[in-house]
Amino acid sequence: MKIKTFGYCVEQGIINLYKNRLMTLASIGTISACILIIGVFYSIVSNVDFMVSEIQNNIGVAVFFEEGITQERIDELNTIIEQREEVYSITYISADEAWEGFKEEYFEGREQLLTGFEDENPLKDSASFQVFLGDIDKQEVLVTFIDALPGVSHIREDRQVTNVIKSISDLIKYFSIALIAILIIISVFLISNTVRLTIELRKREINIMKYVGATDTFIRGPFIIEGAVIGLVGALIPLGIVYYFYSDIISRIMEKYILLDDYLMFMPVGDIFIRLVPLSILIGAGIGIVGSMLTIHKHLKV
Amino acid sequence: MIRFENITKVYPNGVKALDNISLEIEKGEFVFIVGNSGSGKTTLIKILMKELDANEGKLYIDEQDVTHVKHKKVPKIRRKMGVVFQDFRLLSNMTVYNNVAFALKITETATRKIRRAVPMVLSMVGLNKKSDRYPHELSGGEQQRAALARAIINNPQILLCDEPTGNLDPKTSWEIMKLLLDINLRGTTVVVVTHNREVVNAMKKRVITIKGGTVAKDIQKGDYGYED
Ligand SMILES: Nc1ncnc2c1ncn2[C@@H]1O[C@H](COP(=O)(O)OP(=O)(O)O)[C@@H](O)[C@H]1O
Ligand SMILES: [Mg+2]
Repeated sequence: MKIKTFGYCVEQGIINLYKNRLMTLASIGTISACILIIGVFYSIVSNVDFMVSEIQNNIGVAVFFEEGITQERIDELNTIIEQREEVYSITYISADEAWEGFKEEYFEGREQLLTGFEDENPLKDSASFQVFLGDIDKQEVLVTFIDALPGVSHIREDRQVTNVIKSISDLIKYFSIALIAILIIISVFLISNTVRLTIELRKREINIMKYVGATDTFIRGPFIIEGAVIGLVGALIPLGIVYYFYSDIISRIMEKYILLDDYLMFMPVGDIFIRLVPLSILIGAGIGIVGSMLTIHKHLKV
Repeated sequence: MIRFENITKVYPNGVKALDNISLEIEKGEFVFIVGNSGSGKTTLIKILMKELDANEGKLYIDEQDVTHVKHKKVPKIRRKMGVVFQDFRLLSNMTVYNNVAFALKITETATRKIRRAVPMVLSMVGLNKKSDRYPHELSGGEQQRAALARAIINNPQILLCDEPTGNLDPKTSWEIMKLLLDINLRGTTVVVVTHNREVVNAMKKRVITIKGGTVAKDIQKGDYGYED
């Protein structure tokens, strides 16, 4: 196709959009709604996933040893556990370190309460491994394995927290996929209706074009452009909205739930957009082009 | 130039519009096609334009079998033909100039060439002074001239006219017919479907009479012998 022809298609496509402006706005509206919802859910799901993985890295399992275990055995266990593929990292925490950590966390600024404990470590049997996993789903397998190792007395897991977050995140994912699918279908339908109206409006012109030997591309081009423009505009508007409100909403959440500071970790808007922008544009233009092609196929016997 | 070989066209509703029709039109001929309303004339034109496909038989244009060509090839065949209809079929939102230029635009002609060709063809049909008018500002005859200009601007080898004077008064009809003759004299094959008895009788051209989807008569220098 010549550039000039492409220019013609764009020009005609935009004229069509204008002539049909009510339907155009309606279709842009639905696509925008669709992609806005995609954007919102994508942001939520990404952040929840992000939090889950962050939390996962902070909540590992703690492996405690049987009384009187030798340092050699501890080193052996360290090697065995470290070699498991589920393990992301493993750290040995000696009884003294555990006690220091405990003191720091619970008695900071109130050290006078600790008088009498200066020499003796009340957690003297609490040496442990902190084991972090790469994927929380593998936790059960790993725990079963470690639990069976000689020298291990018990394992403390914080699985509930992560499991709850994980299932919430899955729920949101499934829900949003279903919702988005429905919205995409509605959008395709609306676009196809818009294009059908334009075809109706331009039937005479299309007929004349056929008589003077216009090619299919030439006749269909403007309608494809029409759909694509609706799709693109319909994608850009919600992207703008999400971009504008994202940081604002996050800082509000952070303020409100300041106590959950440790758990609430958000991705910067740039990290979200690096995938959301192409995704939205692809979906928007895709819906637009598919919508008009369907209509052309059905109503424009060239 | 054009050859129908035993062409039969049956519409989906079962109407047999063309029944085993065979005819040949030479390059540069001027042919009238006459016949009762409903006899199949428009169907014949549509088959020729590849708007309809024949159910049986073969169609040759330029010695080339175009009975079953791919959809994509149709525009190329249509560019060999210009068409004119009874109802002009101009685009009401475009000026005469743009209506004519439209035919060149959609065949991807360079703008420079369009600017040269349109005034030339408009002056040929006698509309050069009205190129900025809109169709509704023109008389029927002038609209048909504009439609003619659009049909011939691509220099088609064949000009097909389906009742081009059906909506025009006798005097205007004559003017249009004279234009068609001019176009024919420049080498274009012209096929005119018409009910205009006087014109047919006066022009002494070949007359093909269609009756019930078949060729009833085909006479050189014939007349409108058909009784309506
Ligand atoms: N699209 C169509 N579908 C069904 N029947 C048609 C169609 N077009 C024409 N016909 C029928 O085919 C016959 C020939 O029609 P047509 O070629 O238009 O005749 P003419 O142009 O000589 O008046 C008529 O009986 C007409 O009713
Ligand atoms: Mg007819």
